[in-house]
Amino acid sequence: MGENVSQLKWPDEGVTRAPYRVLADPEIYAEEQRKIFRGPTWHYLCLDAELPEAGSYRTTYIGETPVIVTRDKDGAIHGLVNRCSHKGALVCVDAGGKKNQLTCLYHAWSFNLQGDLVGVPFHKGVNGQGGMPETFEYANHGLEKLRVESYCGLVFGTFSHHVEPLEQYIGPAMTAHMRRVFHKPVEVIGYYHQTLDNNWKLYMENSRDPYHATILHAFYATFKLNRLTMDGGITIEHDGWNTMNFSIGASLKEGGEYEKAGLRNVVEDVGLAGPELLHRTQEFEDGITVAIQSIFPTCVNQQIYNTLAIRQLTPQGPNKCELHWTVFGYKDDTPELRQMRLMQANLIGPAGYVSIDDGVIGEYVQRGVGGTGVDASAVMEMGGSAVESARGSRATEATLRGFWTGYRALMGL
Amino acid sequence: MMNEAQRRLIDDLQARYIRAIDDDRIEDWPGLFTEQCLYRIITRENLDAGMLLPLMECRGQGMLADRITGLRKINVYEPHRYTHQQSGLVVESFDGTTAVCRSSYLVVRTMGNGAMSIFSTGVYLDKIELSATGAKFIERIVVQDSRTVGTLLVIPL
Repeated sequence: MGENVSQLKWPDEGVTRAPYRVLADPEIYAEEQRKIFRGPTWHYLCLDAELPEAGSYRTTYIGETPVIVTRDKDGAIHGLVNRCSHKGALVCVDAGGKKNQLTCLYHAWSFNLQGDLVGVPFHKGVNGQGGMPETFEYANHGLEKLRVESYCGLVFGTFSHHVEPLEQYIGPAMTAHMRRVFHKPVEVIGYYHQTLDNNWKLYMENSRDPYHATILHAFYATFKLNRLTMDGGITIEHDGWNTMNFSIGASLKEGGEYEKAGLRNVVEDVGLAGPELLHRTQEFEDGITVAIQSIFPTCVNQQIYNTLAIRQLTPQGPNKCELHWTVFGYKDDTPELRQMRLMQANLIGPAGYVSIDDGVIGEYVQRGVGGTGVDASAVMEMGGSAVESARGSRATEATLRGFWTGYRALMGL
Repeated sequence: MMNEAQRRLIDDLQARYIRAIDDDRIEDWPGLFTEQCLYRIITRENLDAGMLLPLMECRGQGMLADRITGLRKINVYEPHRYTHQQSGLVVESFDGTTAVCRSSYLVVRTMGNGAMSIFSTGVYLDKIELSATGAKFIERIVVQDSRTVGTLLVIPL
């Protein structure tokens, strides 16, 4: 712990506090790129299902670093920095597709699907003049390569040679949940992208926060889709770096707690005029109806009824980030189930009845904490100060304390 | 062939759609659609990939009304308004009762704090029912050019 280049001292209360300065300070942001995004962490890149054949590729980001993910002729998956080794231009400029080799548009340097440099136009010059020197070694000028591993069809990459293997990093309680969702082949049914004018960490806190879920999201409480008075819990893994919040819809038992609390979240005299929107089916034997799993730092695996999605957040500066949703179903979905997922998509994404509210709330915090001179911290004492799993109560911020535990460890704060 | 009176009904429907939204009279919006209508907002990215994942989809009057309930009573968002610009309206086909139309739109969003942005551009793909009593949308598919939404989308486009 202690001081770092940004001269920030973490409050003595530990992870029940998070100084607002970490949400706005450009120096801290730059340090995060190095210590977190290029540090000992695994980052979600894409689904195996999005790379169906040899030559398939997708582009994404780890932090601000542009990345290409490819599948080679042997079926192996490679993660490469999407930056030409010649002049730094993007090598792949679209979201994905199929190519036999990767060729930069600028001077047509080309790379194979493993990222090795295989072609430099006019490398011997023209008419015996110019060209690359004899000393130029192709082998030294490939695309920067990432370490890549997959678990249950989720492809992750890292810049770190030291971070533990992916499965160990995710941890046994978290991999169990991944196996639950990814128990059979999946198929992407669409994407959402959403820019948020707030620091990336605010969204990652939000997705872990079971306390806000049924208060801010009035749609949940009003239509009894998710309430803290349902059975549910939180799961903590890897000292809290990775966490999950879940609830079991059929277990709702209550004596009017929400109504008594006088919250704005239970809207009176409201019904759905088009109730077909919420036609749903119990897909999982454990009865869990909402499960939000967060893998440090920026990956979320979401089940909200029959909507399944991976959310990936890419930071774009201290005050901006972009959220990418990959929404999927199973290959063997019946047409009825697929239609149900598409209709329930009205709950999620930038225009989702549930998730609309998350778009603005991070921006309200960002504006509230503006200015790096602010010497104040967020308070997270709901459920005490521990970072541990709990069954039954979700009136806790242990999952947020878990996020900050990981953050402090990596940042040395 | 569409006569001038029928074309005026279409133009009037398009204009009333914009007025309902831009003048914050969203309660007038469902009345511009038929009972069993389809209203869908989808990105070009998803549509071109053959994926029908909508940003917003309403099937029938009930779901249109629910979107109004959502934005008036349930969802949390910073107050804002839209100004639409629509251009290039072409009637692609007309069989005497149903017109298939296509036009471009641009929506400027103005937030409560004064911030303005070009929020969405794209095309309206319409199926419009024409009768003696007027014109109504059987279908309006809004295809947004950008794959990205700035912050959130709560008011229909």
